[in-house]
Amino acid sequence: MRNNAFLHFLTLLLFKQKSKHIGAVLISVIIIFLLSAVLFLSSSLQYSLLSALQKQGDFVVTRIQAGKPANTPVAWVDQILGINGVTHVAPRIYGRYFFAPRENAFLVVGIDFFDEQNNQALQRLLKDVDLKRFFSKDSMLVGEGVRKFLEAHYFKNDFTFKTPKGTFKKVNIYQTLPKQANLIDNDMIIMPIELAREIFGLGEGEVTDITFNVPNDAEWDNIITKLHLLFYDVRVIEKREVKKAYENLYNYKGGLFLILYLVTIVTFMLILYQRYSMVYSTERKEIGILRAVGWSIKDILKLKFYENLVIVIISFIIGVVLAYLYVFVLNAPLLSHIFLGGSNLANHVTFVPVVKFGILGSIFLFYAVPFLAAVLIPAWKVAVTPPKEAML
Amino acid sequence: MIKPFFVLVTILFLLIGMVAGHYLQYDRKTPQEALQGISAVTNFSSPALSVSYYEPRILFYETASNPAYPQMQALNRMDFVYEK
Repeated sequence: MRNNAFLHFLTLLLFKQKSKHIGAVLISVIIIFLLSAVLFLSSSLQYSLLSALQKQGDFVVTRIQAGKPANTPVAWVDQILGINGVTHVAPRIYGRYFFAPRENAFLVVGIDFFDEQNNQALQRLLKDVDLKRFFSKDSMLVGEGVRKFLEAHYFKNDFTFKTPKGTFKKVNIYQTLPKQANLIDNDMIIMPIELAREIFGLGEGEVTDITFNVPNDAEWDNIITKLHLLFYDVRVIEKREVKKAYENLYNYKGGLFLILYLVTIVTFMLILYQRYSMVYSTERKEIGILRAVGWSIKDILKLKFYENLVIVIISFIIGVVLAYLYVFVLNAPLLSHIFLGGSNLANHVTFVPVVKFGILGSIFLFYAVPFLAAVLIPAWKVAVTPPKEAML
Repeated sequence: MIKPFFVLVTILFLLIGMVAGHYLQYDRKTPQEALQGISAVTNFSSPALSVSYYEPRILFYETASNPAYPQMQALNRMDFVYEK
């Protein structure tokens, strides 16, 4: 059989029987689209979070009281600084501020603006931040989501916080944080540590936690031991723990996606069933005719293999391209809510395109092998029966 | 190969080319710098989960507790997505 004639017959068959294939293509496109969209979204989140994690402090130390995080004494800063190999020790105050009228919350982070490292990082982040003007009155930097929310509620230039003492604190909105960082800072308010202390009603010598770096990775376990010897009521969160968690982000064990996989597998079973039932009607006759005109079993299997391989490839390309456009061009409306939530401030995140070709290849195999098997096995069963019997 | 199939293949190649162009041309540096800048200033890298006030906002730092059954791990809505 000449290849060109075979290819012509194959493509002709595909287009003549397009109504037969359209259902399978549609279902396949939906399955691949869903799987790929989730994969793209999780890969992009993973990439962005791991990239952000690089600049985060290596350790976070919090005091634990009765099994719950408690305010950490600021005096611990000096004790931690005393450990050899520790650098950039920074106290931090953070917490959520509840805006009761709309039942929304902001993440308020208080940092030491005069800390050299913080100052440099801030200058890099916001090119035109003038600390003199910033400190001329109580000021804060707000995330894009917070700015939009406050503007919608007529807080255009400042916002009044209610402190636990019942007093009010008016804080000027100095600048908006870059919207490219919405993934992290959408609901964030950054302000001087003293101001955050006042808003949350923390004591003079208290902070939420303390972060620090240990440049030598080999010393990390040693430092943890030293910390536990220094303080008995402490919880240490390591960067490598967080990194591991981000690397495990959306894996096959994740509850929601396990369900998604199950749905996919069940759908494949349905396709399998559909293919089995279809083969005993029109396709049975078609195979019988081909056998009667002299086609061998091998030729029939070859035709069926290529016919369905074309369908698999077309569905795969359409599904993946649609998923790519949905996630990285439209920024995954609806699906992003599963990953980022939608109960608080609206978050418009731009996802950085990240495509893991290995996992895409796995999806292709995971989809293509059962699909082809579901077609070739029944086709082979018909092909081995005598043509006269098959055409009945 | 019949003409409609050739047209279909061409369209698919165009789609792949369009996606490849977008993927290669995308400016990854600006968002990466912005995210790293925020992380360096605040020491936070957790995604801004848009969750209710009583739900954990910072991944892996905060955990939900069940007041009725303290011994039972409370199920956080985000646990479905972000495995610990």
